[in-house]
Amino acid sequence: MEERIQQLDLLQHTDTVNELLARYGVKFGIYKNNVFKEQLFPFDAIPRIIEHEEFLFLERGLEQRVMALNLFIKDIYSKKQIVKDGIVPEDFIFASSGYMAECEGAMPPKGIYAHISGIDLVKGKDGNWYILEDNLRVPSGASYPMIARELCRRSSPDTFHDNHLEDNRNYAGLLRHTMDYVNTGGHTVILTPGRYNAAYFEHSYLAEKTGAHLVNGSELRVKNDRLYYVSMDGSLEPVGAVYRRISDDYLDPMNFRADSLIGIPHIYDVFRKGNVALLNAPGNGVADDKGIYYFVPKMIRYYLDEEPVLSNAPTYLPFYEEDMRYVLEHFDRLVLKDVAEAGGYGVVFGNTMSKEQKEDFIALLKREPRRFIAQEVIDFQDLDIMDDFFVVPRKADLRAFVLMAEEPLVWKSGLTRFSRNPDSFIVNSSQGGGFKDTWVLSQ
Amino acid sequence: MKKLTFDYYMQIDYSETVSSCHFTIKCLPKDTVRQRAGKVRVQLSPDVPYSTGTDAFGNGQIYGWDDVEHTTFSFRITGDVYTGLDHREEAADEDMLAVFRHPHGLNRAGEALIAYHEKLAGDLPGDAYEKALFLTHRLHEDFVYEKGCTNVDTTAEQAWVQGRGVCQDYAHILIALLHREGIPARYVTGMIPGEGASHAWVEIEKEGFWYGIDPTNDTPVGDDHIKLGVGRDAADCLINRGIMHGGGRQSQVVRVSVEEIEGRRT
Repeated sequence: MEERIQQLDLLQHTDTVNELLARYGVKFGIYKNNVFKEQLFPFDAIPRIIEHEEFLFLERGLEQRVMALNLFIKDIYSKKQIVKDGIVPEDFIFASSGYMAECEGAMPPKGIYAHISGIDLVKGKDGNWYILEDNLRVPSGASYPMIARELCRRSSPDTFHDNHLEDNRNYAGLLRHTMDYVNTGGHTVILTPGRYNAAYFEHSYLAEKTGAHLVNGSELRVKNDRLYYVSMDGSLEPVGAVYRRISDDYLDPMNFRADSLIGIPHIYDVFRKGNVALLNAPGNGVADDKGIYYFVPKMIRYYLDEEPVLSNAPTYLPFYEEDMRYVLEHFDRLVLKDVAEAGGYGVVFGNTMSKEQKEDFIALLKREPRRFIAQEVIDFQDLDIMDDFFVVPRKADLRAFVLMAEEPLVWKSGLTRFSRNPDSFIVNSSQGGGFKDTWVLSQ
Repeated sequence: MKKLTFDYYMQIDYSETVSSCHFTIKCLPKDTVRQRAGKVRVQLSPDVPYSTGTDAFGNGQIYGWDDVEHTTFSFRITGDVYTGLDHREEAADEDMLAVFRHPHGLNRAGEALIAYHEKLAGDLPGDAYEKALFLTHRLHEDFVYEKGCTNVDTTAEQAWVQGRGVCQDYAHILIALLHREGIPARYVTGMIPGEGASHAWVEIEKEGFWYGIDPTNDTPVGDDHIKLGVGRDAADCLINRGIMHGGGRQSQVVRVSVEEIEGRRT
């Protein structure tokens, strides 16, 4: 395999691909000190390659996981059986910031909550894959490997002639089917907060590729319990599905945050009446909270009566006394995560703290045990990346995308992100990482 | 049992023209075993079409979009309600009880309220309802009713620290204390005779039934209380909520009257 990679014609074209990516505006935005900056998302041409058999295994595990997570969210906003049966303690649901009581009793079209899930995994040095986190709200990233593949094929057609890999350009078709499957009648739109959003490139690219309208909040309007698209001539055209790239809080100023200028007043009331599909459904935060992560293997057993195919990273909940003891005893080798934070923020490694920091942190942990999880640091495999003319090893993860329509389906590709800093385990693009294409071999 | 007639009027005057607005109004008397609503009339001005629905807490609501230019927006809701049909209400949706057992939003206790609860904890009776009455008596003694020193966003902790507030604050503080005891408690909006404005109180759950307690008046809820909405805190059941384009400065007037028209004590 190593040799095969070194010989890829594609690697000669790294600069071309990066130039094309820049020309197509493949960027993501970040706010630093309240200033909006757009950055290129550095692309590394050495693909991550996943063998055919290995991906079949990942597929089984991811489909199972997303199936269980969907059943969990549906259960929480209706019967709450998993809580009554004592599998998940009440505190991890109703005191969690991801739980939204406003979603009680609302049944999304076809009962699907997480239509598009981004599941982050890493491959350990022990050869095992571990789930790091589930992203069930508005996971982004699929567009990057989509367009990278497109441009790589254009720059080096031979590479794709000589290697047998799954074509990942079907994502748009899969996404379109996912949206159409729950559409209640009318147009399908992609709702963006606008060009100052971190993932605006993705919103526009997915709209173009799926044939959905790209709209902002002011182009949608609620009237007589239906959602409408206000067309150029002012006429109203019904909308049946909204792939919204706006978080729950900002979606509807009449039901959630009143100061949202990017949402659509009363869209949530229309959704509650079953007159429009929202992808993903509001309220999913209750299932991708870092504290709930611990319980996902239990959910799989509970709802599906199956053993989880994919493992979590070994995780401890200081909420449980036994786990708290373990965490205090093994503090220096654990990573601690604030359950309310995302994007690589609120993550601290026990062994990097000074004595004082550690004392302060432990005091905080004892005061608010529900707020943190602790995990064993997984020594995950390095992937090769090109650093100028040298090939160097860097930490990388994989965001797999699972689409849910009739049944869950894993996209045969994914976003591989890597850390450009040799000492860092944090691969988030908001922290300056780069990305690779993910090849799934077709045989 | 009593038969009460009510008139809830709300008016907002704007210094500049409003070109359009969205509104949600949760001011419809609930039909429960405790109270039964007769015919309820809704008048909006400007007179625009509206939708009706039910929110996550089972509250009836009317909502809509008004694109008629105006400088005054108002609604009037009138009707008759039979109250005091029962002294408690079955907690029919037991799945929701857990939701009302946990601190949320404005009813969160901070250090001061936790300390207050600890001070009282030793004297509390065992029964959940008795506990709630005990806490209500104490709160009534230790907290001063005063208008204008809190607003709709004031938390239980903030109100407690300053030691004064209105019915909303009494309700939030009582809920925070009840949560410390693990008792499901919810916020209720409604109306009572003689108040002139909307009122708020608390319901606590005991053995499958909700019981109403009015901490502002230090009394169990009786046949003078017309219940409009429930939620975890005031924000869940705001009587009116709106956003508008234009408008400039605004001033809001609320006039509520509740009168007994006929009735007999049972």
